Amino acid sequence: MKSKCRNLGMVALAAALALTFSASTLMANPYEKYKGKTLVVSWPSNSHFKKAKQLVAEFTKETGIKVEIDYSQYLKMRNRQLLEMSKKDGDFDVVAWVVMWKGEYVAKGLLTPLSQFFTSPAFVDPNYDIEDIADAYIQNGGIVGGKKGYLPGKSGALYGLPFGAETSILAYRKDVFKKLGLAVPKTYADVRKAAKTIKEKTGMGGLTMRGKTGHQVTAAWLFHAAPMGARVFNDKWEPVFNSPAGVKTAEFLRETVKYGPRGIPSYSYGEASKAFLHGDAAMYIDSLKIAARARDPKQSKVVGKVGYALHPTDVQCGSETGGFAMGIPANSKNKEAAFLFIQWMTSKKADRRIVELGGDPIRISTLTDPVFSKKFPEYPVIAEQLKCADPDWRPLIPEWNELNIKVLGIALHQVLTSDKPIKPILDKAAKQARAVMKREGYYQWQSISSK
Amino acid sequence: MSDPSAPVATGMRRWIVGYLFVAPAVLLMGAGLIYPVVQGLLLSMQDWAVGTPMSTAEFIGADNYLRMLRDENVQESMWVTFKFGFFTITIEMTLGVALALLLEKPIRGASIFRTIFIMPLMISPVVVGLVWRYLFDARAGWINHYLELAGFEPLIWLGEPHLAFFAIVFTDIWQWTPFVFIIVIAGLQALPSEVLEASRIDGANTWQQIFLVKLPMIRSILIIALLLRLIDVFKGLEVMLILTEGGPGLATELLSLHVYKTAFDAQQLGYAAAISVLLLLIVFALSLAILLVSNPMKSRADV
Repeated sequence: MKSKCRNLGMVALAAALALTFSASTLMANPYEKYKGKTLVVSWPSNSHFKKAKQLVAEFTKETGIKVEIDYSQYLKMRNRQLLEMSKKDGDFDVVAWVVMWKGEYVAKGLLTPLSQFFTSPAFVDPNYDIEDIADAYIQNGGIVGGKKGYLPGKSGALYGLPFGAETSILAYRKDVFKKLGLAVPKTYADVRKAAKTIKEKTGMGGLTMRGKTGHQVTAAWLFHAAPMGARVFNDKWEPVFNSPAGVKTAEFLRETVKYGPRGIPSYSYGEASKAFLHGDAAMYIDSLKIAARARDPKQSKVVGKVGYALHPTDVQCGSETGGFAMGIPANSKNKEAAFLFIQWMTSKKADRRIVELGGDPIRISTLTDPVFSKKFPEYPVIAEQLKCADPDWRPLIPEWNELNIKVLGIALHQVLTSDKPIKPILDKAAKQARAVMKREGYYQWQSISSK
Repeated sequence: MSDPSAPVATGMRRWIVGYLFVAPAVLLMGAGLIYPVVQGLLLSMQDWAVGTPMSTAEFIGADNYLRMLRDENVQESMWVTFKFGFFTITIEMTLGVALALLLEKPIRGASIFRTIFIMPLMISPVVVGLVWRYLFDARAGWINHYLELAGFEPLIWLGEPHLAFFAIVFTDIWQWTPFVFIIVIAGLQALPSEVLEASRIDGANTWQQIFLVKLPMIRSILIIALLLRLIDVFKGLEVMLILTEGGPGLATELLSLHVYKTAFDAQQLGYAAAISVLLLLIVFALSLAILLVSNPMKSRADV
């Protein structure tokens, strides 16, 4: 029904275009041609994207392009998008994906390379300044096909632009640290010491953390694995999360449960952040999204008591890179208007507007703007953090979802809830992970290169 | 109507008319029941991921089944399902029957109790999952709050394998005992009062009445309740998905949840279909076993 209406609209539009064809070259406004078209956008229903709704209204007002937003819970979004994008005529013109899915979408041929538009001056806003978008964000959310398939590299191509992207920082309770005379943690050794001291002296949880079975506990391991020098795979796709650094990271998780707020093994992101916002934990190392929530008196009992610092280091500096990016499905019928929409939403002007509306910026110029840093104390920290954000902190391969939930997510939870030696648990999981990778053909080249 | 001189033709006609009458039902069953099962069987022999055209799915024969037989997680999940089924069904049947016997007599306020007992049944499973997730919450949940008030150590209900298993069993009992209760109380109220009166005159006490008269008379109803619960246990998914997501580890990952995760998290639809076929076979075998021991249809015919 909906697509029928749109088809009719398209016919009408085509007729109108044909009539004005001679005039179209004279159009002063690049949006003019697409005026009255309706874009259907698949977005997650999280706070950033909800707040961007106002920005979308401003886009329509300025350009005349209508936008219909299809919100869904972010974990449910993938099945929905895959279904639409694999049809002959999909309903979506723009999709926002969790960076984890980009490899899968491209491997299945579901996205349009953005180079199609960046090659044409008619589409590219000369003031767009793509260099200003945080490098870590664009590499992580938008570039597909480089080194390992998901990292930057000469074989990579741009499929999306970051929107609602994030990294990890440390949030801590200024009042608690001051009372106990503790310094702001710079390293993981500091975090360990502070957590123990806080728990023993005040009974309050030291560091909060996700710990629920599945992707939650794996996320916790990954957050701390990057600075501790642990990886899921080596360059030959052999699982190495059971390496000494990996075991050390798992030990840190176990210790965090011991000195953390009650119930970490049942925490998803919601519970983990609430423990901090309700004042049951003094430290938080996770997505920067905590800052906006800590300021909101409706969600937070710690308003004004929270300080921000760089994600602590161990053997190296490394924070997460995640969140969302936006791109255009290969089966969209409004690709050009969709590109103009994405470009507008990620422009300098829109980036500042989204901050005013309560969303998260992606541009360095916004993050380092003194006007904003006065209001948002975490912005200078984020701008600094992004310099060492680690695009390889988790493998963004199509098989990752399975490994994440069904292999690591189960093994690491065993680490949290038992006293058993960690190494054998991770060894067993590594064996399972290798079987998955073998099944998917990751070791085919090894048989040739070894001969 | 019937013509004694041509019995064969009448028999034939009757035969055809009979089939004509059942044909719509058979066709509907065929479309609604057999077709999906056959599709599931076909899918279980393919390697297909969501988001790729169905035509690119590879036919891999029995590979999925061979993989399933060696898959430790499937075995673990099966064991969890059997354990879960054993505890929930035993307790629900006992509790449901006991409550029905208790509230069967016209005691004061019986109708209020009956309404209250039925309420959990009317709540959507997703809501049940959410409500109990908050109740069992380790940091801010009511259960821990009252445990602490009573001087006990608070527990990490959904983060410890045994406690989480207890939590899903408890939630299931809370939700589904009313189902057994309703069915049994309906059966009890339909019992002919003469029989009960006769047994009383013969000197049977309350216990003898329950175990020698009432329960044997509603045996077929008990069997049906048991069958329905059994099928439900193997279908159960929503509450576990929300309450624990199958965790900690695999402690609460029922087979149907395992199928869900394989299909939609790991995106291996063929393999998930193969596990579904296993699920179907198990339910089929168990149902058949129960019906062989005691077939409610047959006992009705005996009466």
